[in-house]
Amino acid sequence: MNNDTVIQETNIALRDNAEVAAALGRSYAAGFVTDIEMTSLPPGLSEDIIRQLSAIKQEPEWMTEWRLDAYRHWLTMPMPDWAKLKIAPIDYQALSYYAAPKAGPKSLDEVDPALLEAYEKLGVPLHERARLAGVAVDAVFDSVSVGTTFRKELAAAGVLFCSMSEAIREYPDIVRKYLGSVVPTGDNYFAALNSAVFSDGSFVFIPKGVRCPMELSTYFRINAQNTGQFERTLIVAEEGSHVSYLEGCTAPRRDENQLHAAVVELVALEKAQIKYSTVQNWYPGDENGVGGIYNFVTKRGDCRGDDSKISWTQVETGSAVTWKYPSVILRGDRSVGEFYSVALTHHHQQADTGTKMIHIGKHTKSKIVSKGISAGRSSNSYRGLVKMENGAEGARNYTQCDSLLIGKKCGAHTFPYMEVKNPTAIVEHEATTSKISDDQMFYCRARGISEENAVSMIVDGFCKQVFRELPMEFAVEAKKLLEVSLEGAVG
Amino acid sequence: MSQPATSPLLASLLDAPLPVSGIDWLDAARCENHNAFAAAGLPDTRVEAWKYTGLRALTQRSFASGDADAQSRVVDTSHFVLPGADGPRVVFVNGVFRADLSSIDALPPGLLLQPLSVALKENAEPLRFALSRHYREEGDAFARINAACADDGVMLRVATHAKIEVPIHLVFVGAAADADLAWHVRNVIEIGEGASLELVEHHLASGEQNHLATLVADIELREGARMRHTLLQNAAVGANLMRRSSFRLHARAHATLHALELGGALVRHDLRAQLLGDEARFDTRGVFMPHGRQHIDTQMAIRHEALNTVSTSVWRGVASDRARGVFRGAILVAPGADGSDASLSNKNLLLSTGAEIDTKPELEIHADEVKAAHGATVGQLDERSLFYLRSRGIPMVEARALLTAAFCRAVLDDLPNEALRDHLSTLLIEHLPA
Repeated sequence: MNNDTVIQETNIALRDNAEVAAALGRSYAAGFVTDIEMTSLPPGLSEDIIRQLSAIKQEPEWMTEWRLDAYRHWLTMPMPDWAKLKIAPIDYQALSYYAAPKAGPKSLDEVDPALLEAYEKLGVPLHERARLAGVAVDAVFDSVSVGTTFRKELAAAGVLFCSMSEAIREYPDIVRKYLGSVVPTGDNYFAALNSAVFSDGSFVFIPKGVRCPMELSTYFRINAQNTGQFERTLIVAEEGSHVSYLEGCTAPRRDENQLHAAVVELVALEKAQIKYSTVQNWYPGDENGVGGIYNFVTKRGDCRGDDSKISWTQVETGSAVTWKYPSVILRGDRSVGEFYSVALTHHHQQADTGTKMIHIGKHTKSKIVSKGISAGRSSNSYRGLVKMENGAEGARNYTQCDSLLIGKKCGAHTFPYMEVKNPTAIVEHEATTSKISDDQMFYCRARGISEENAVSMIVDGFCKQVFRELPMEFAVEAKKLLEVSLEGAVG
Repeated sequence: MSQPATSPLLASLLDAPLPVSGIDWLDAARCENHNAFAAAGLPDTRVEAWKYTGLRALTQRSFASGDADAQSRVVDTSHFVLPGADGPRVVFVNGVFRADLSSIDALPPGLLLQPLSVALKENAEPLRFALSRHYREEGDAFARINAACADDGVMLRVATHAKIEVPIHLVFVGAAADADLAWHVRNVIEIGEGASLELVEHHLASGEQNHLATLVADIELREGARMRHTLLQNAAVGANLMRRSSFRLHARAHATLHALELGGALVRHDLRAQLLGDEARFDTRGVFMPHGRQHIDTQMAIRHEALNTVSTSVWRGVASDRARGVFRGAILVAPGADGSDASLSNKNLLLSTGAEIDTKPELEIHADEVKAAHGATVGQLDERSLFYLRSRGIPMVEARALLTAAFCRAVLDDLPNEALRDHLSTLLIEHLPA
């Protein structure tokens, strides 16, 4: 089939690239890696712990205070219970908020065979597998120098791209100006927790008028493996700049931490464009719903300038529980917000995800395309808000939410909120829920396509609108990922 | 649960004496609901079901309990005469049954229609299921106070296989009084197996008043029963109405509802339907058209709980001036309810700056052999259509009215009672925002 050829070719291309990169990357470029103190904090959460955490990370005084403010606020907040999720109580005092990176398995032989099998199916190149499985850094060809090459090119363009810890030390003015300006420390329960104890994350700054010369990805950043469970990302695009950022990876990752509470803030100034793509494939727990990551994410973009644009694309297949609503505040006139999402749940996974589009500026536009796929005994909800404020003259929204059910025991839900205060604004919402029709199946089966392949083909077609928005190689991987995630869903 | 903040409204509602029926289970249920109301108080906007309807202004007011002079209030009969609703009629004035205005002497065979208070005295047992309910959901405040305080209403029962050809007219008049009144009405309706009925529920005003009325209706359709229900809500501009109707539909039962929500200051309509039996069907058509400073909130929840059940919902909202229209249309397909087919459309026109529409269509699907779809829009009149009409010499005001009327008409199109349909269309056009 045509698609298979494309995948093969892409994989070969990727492999070739990676081989070149690997060849370049034999030497270890010391000095690039952020110093990681080999210290761990005892479990528990208190002002002391936060002070220690801040000290270990050599943060300035204001940052420590910022964390403490957030912590004090968090103490006053109740855990939200409005999402359609069943979450076992979380003991925040039992967690350790800073742990030195663990030495991973020494070679691929020590890696869980199930994980290797998944890599095999996804077509992940060999040396990548090692990196993804967390095999000790010096035992594999790391992408260090690949990263360094990129960094030189980025620096030439004036783009700042580094870890959040580094940014706090190196560019305190920018960080101070923007951090928490989109997602305030007290925004919600998990954002407050993240603000208090965030471990690390990415910092991107695109200066005025610069078109970022490449697609940025955490993948290129050496200490990406250790961003920890409370990731904090900040992307600022100045006037007229342009950046595309990729988060995550299609390959499954085993993680020691059960709770993840990330915050991502995007700021787009006048005529700036930010495209943020995510593939999330954390450990979803086993077939019986045991284990798996809790993924509680606050992602928000702020179109501050006129004619700016922020676009979220996400493919969510992992985690036991997902609670995530990437949003856009359309403040600037004629600014544009987009949200494209594929969320797949299987076995006992639960996802409550969607978006918010807050239209404030005149002639702002937003588009929401959400595709939910539920299989097994999972529960998959779309929850979205479209709000047209008084001043949103001529604003426009279009929302489309489709759900696909595979199996009798799963649930697919849609909870869209529309609040319109401007008589010139137009809001449209459409949603459908259905299963793969017998006709479709019969058509495929009659042409000799196996049941599993037929399902995967139909699911691929169902998601096409979203995959189109992903960078090419991501899209190919995402398709493959859905196939793997849906294994055992049919028959 | 924290102690609810006391407010004049809460105090005045709690002040009203509980009616005593002498029926153990009924008095116990009243007491229970009264306690629940006292304990939880009134919901604020943090309660999801009341997110878009704030009661703050209402809580600052107090209402006298019931109307002692209801029997002597002069109400012009011509007010409530409705074309197409010329059958038996039950009239309540400020929540009190008025035998002199009602006509229930010559009922068709198979129809039992009487004030609830009378039915309770004659044979309370069949009412036990409906009247011994406890309202336990967060935000059920008005259902609770109704269950505690309502001592009258309509009891309507259609015998098995009885086809009642004439429409039944239920009239609720809010009449001017010296004080603002709170009154509560409870309706219990049962359509027997294979029976059919047309019902017109009519809320209207006689003189200016700012009362608070609550109405709770339980409507049960037995196997194969048919019911056509029309609701015309044209209460006084200052009136507050909290209405809840719960439909229970058994196998092959079919209910249709046409609702026209025009009047009232603060109107809340909780509409619930459970499709309990295979092949049950529920169709709703509604228009809410708040203007001035009106606030009309429609909360519809339909549960598909059996095989091959069908629901269709078409709702239109038009908000002008500083009015607010709120709509929630929640459809749930329970596990195992295969073959369910649910569709919902809610389109809204927002005609002025200062007006607001909040809409929330919901789908909650737990079965896979289903067809479920919903759509919602908020917008304004189509510029091109306006231009078309204006270019043919139709003045702006008229062109707008024409288009707005056309926008709402779809809701009334399939109302089979022609005389009633024409009358409602006329009312709708009269009510269009200027």
